[in-house]
Amino acid sequence: MASDSTRASGDGRMADPAADARAGDDAAGATGESGARAEATVRSATTRHTNRWVGIAGLAFLTAGIGVFVRSRPLVLAAVVIVGYLAYANVFDDPSVSLAVGRRLDERAPDPGDEIRVTVTVENTGDAVLPDLRVIDQVPEALEVVAGPARTATALRPGARMTFSYTVVARRGEYRFDGLTVLARDFSGSVERELDLSTAAETVTVVSPLDGTTAVPLAPLTSPYTGRVETDSGGEGVEFYAVREYRHGDPLSRIDWNRFARERSLSTLEFREERMATVVLVLDLRAEAFLQAGEDGRHAVDREIDAAGRLFRSLLGTGDRVGIAAFAPADVWLPPGAGKTHRARARHLLATHPALSPTPPERDVYTRTQLRDLETRLSEETQILFLSPMPDPVSAYVVRSLHTRGHPVTVVSPDPTRTDTPGHLYEHLERSNRLNDLRTSGVRVLDWADDESLAETLERGRRRWSL
Amino acid sequence: MVAVSGAEITRRPAPRSALRAGGIAAVAPLAAVFGGAAAAALAAVGATALAVGVYLGRRDAVDGGALVAFAGVVLAGVNDAPALPVLLGTVATVLAWDVGGNALSLGAQLGREADTSRVESLHALAGAAVGVTAAVVGFALFAVGPTRQPVTTLFVLLLGATLLVVALNR
Repeated sequence: MASDSTRASGDGRMADPAADARAGDDAAGATGESGARAEATVRSATTRHTNRWVGIAGLAFLTAGIGVFVRSRPLVLAAVVIVGYLAYANVFDDPSVSLAVGRRLDERAPDPGDEIRVTVTVENTGDAVLPDLRVIDQVPEALEVVAGPARTATALRPGARMTFSYTVVARRGEYRFDGLTVLARDFSGSVERELDLSTAAETVTVVSPLDGTTAVPLAPLTSPYTGRVETDSGGEGVEFYAVREYRHGDPLSRIDWNRFARERSLSTLEFREERMATVVLVLDLRAEAFLQAGEDGRHAVDREIDAAGRLFRSLLGTGDRVGIAAFAPADVWLPPGAGKTHRARARHLLATHPALSPTPPERDVYTRTQLRDLETRLSEETQILFLSPMPDPVSAYVVRSLHTRGHPVTVVSPDPTRTDTPGHLYEHLERSNRLNDLRTSGVRVLDWADDESLAETLERGRRRWSL
Repeated sequence: MVAVSGAEITRRPAPRSALRAGGIAAVAPLAAVFGGAAAAALAAVGATALAVGVYLGRRDAVDGGALVAFAGVVLAGVNDAPALPVLLGTVATVLAWDVGGNALSLGAQLGREADTSRVESLHALAGAAVGVTAAVVGFALFAVGPTRQPVTTLFVLLLGATLLVVALNR
């Protein structure tokens, strides 16, 4: 039922036209064959009285009283009508609800930003009429509904079914559609039954492509392996570094023979050594980091995770060893490594790890414990790329703590602040002070503005630090 | 900077629901005309308040508007309006209040954008059927009844109340 989403709309209708006609409510462009409609199981159910007819009895007797008092028979008759409504409000039993639910997504593995059309079919499998059935699909919290609300209301005869559909925008992550909230009322609306239904799960996995970006400026702390980070020591390499006096054992190829011809003294050319770096990308996924500049647009954590993907790809491409860690409610750790398998593993982690969900976590993050765990995992020559909007002193503490332990830290900080109101300006200044404090203690900080691309930010940093 | 939040929905009834409730409520002042201009004016104010209340999603306005409209109908009855307009006004007021309240709950639960016209029409039809049936039964007893004493109508009311008790204890 997964792959034939576009085709199904044509032949599905022919398969069971009677059922569609019975339902009479497929304004949303339903398809008859909307996959397997499975009997939904009830997770929880509550029945409540809506009390919407409360007071009508008093009104009836008040009217009758006035009618008797002024000897007006029409008014007493009006009271009879109201008593009729009173009976109507009380005559119905609790609606018994029995539904089969099918759900279809037209895209299972979209790219971020793609639109996914979700079609939900609800069938009344009980033997009672459902005169007022309100259906709310439980859309995963992080997905934004952009067209057609994921909610509808209809009336269903036994055996009838209805279909509605809506469109969500895919965001990075793995999502399950497996719930449906149903509110069923009787004719008069005096009794309401709310059901939380568990339906057959449909999952969608949205993986962002790991684009490379411009070279990431790294601190000169490197592993003993040849790579691309220019070190401050001479030796084997490409770029000229220094000339020094010949020492016994220097390779013949590096002796400056021109100079020997001129001055009859032996000297050795030294080249800048280029080494491989070990980098761990550390993501700040605490609830405090979930900030966004305006009411809409991407929030800081989304930008962080997106940047992590790009940085990862870029660093791997330039021959460095990269790992991933995070301050998050769950353990996130990918040891530094290289190669295609490593890249695939990182891509999967960035897309589907539950701690990297686009919604703020509900659990607290114990920063100190996680910091200690992280430090034991880091090898000596590892440097850190810390991705965080730097929302609070805790984030600055983390940076300092890692930095003082000899791991050079580069902060890539998506800026979630604005300067349009005094309050926003205060937050903006507080954050830039925090960043400046870090800069003075030798941490490299890249302030990544909302309207700037990551490549621009990195280029800015590269120019500044290469001087 | 703002903390991240999910998408919002407009928790109000659809404009069409307000139109429907207002249309039904508009019958009340027309019926109340038979009991004088004051009664009609009172009913009109109430009907307007009810329609606006549905549009804005304000329950107090809907309840209050319905009460005021019904007061207009009662005033018409006190001013010796004939039985038929009074019954019609009563049915229209109660029905408009019922339809409005239903629209409010739909607005609160599903939001303005959801397609609810089918459910609302069915609800209004069922409510109208109840009102018309009750009015016809009452009117028939009123017309066919042997004497023109208020006692007869009181008897009818009692009968209705008995039906209610039976319904409640089912």
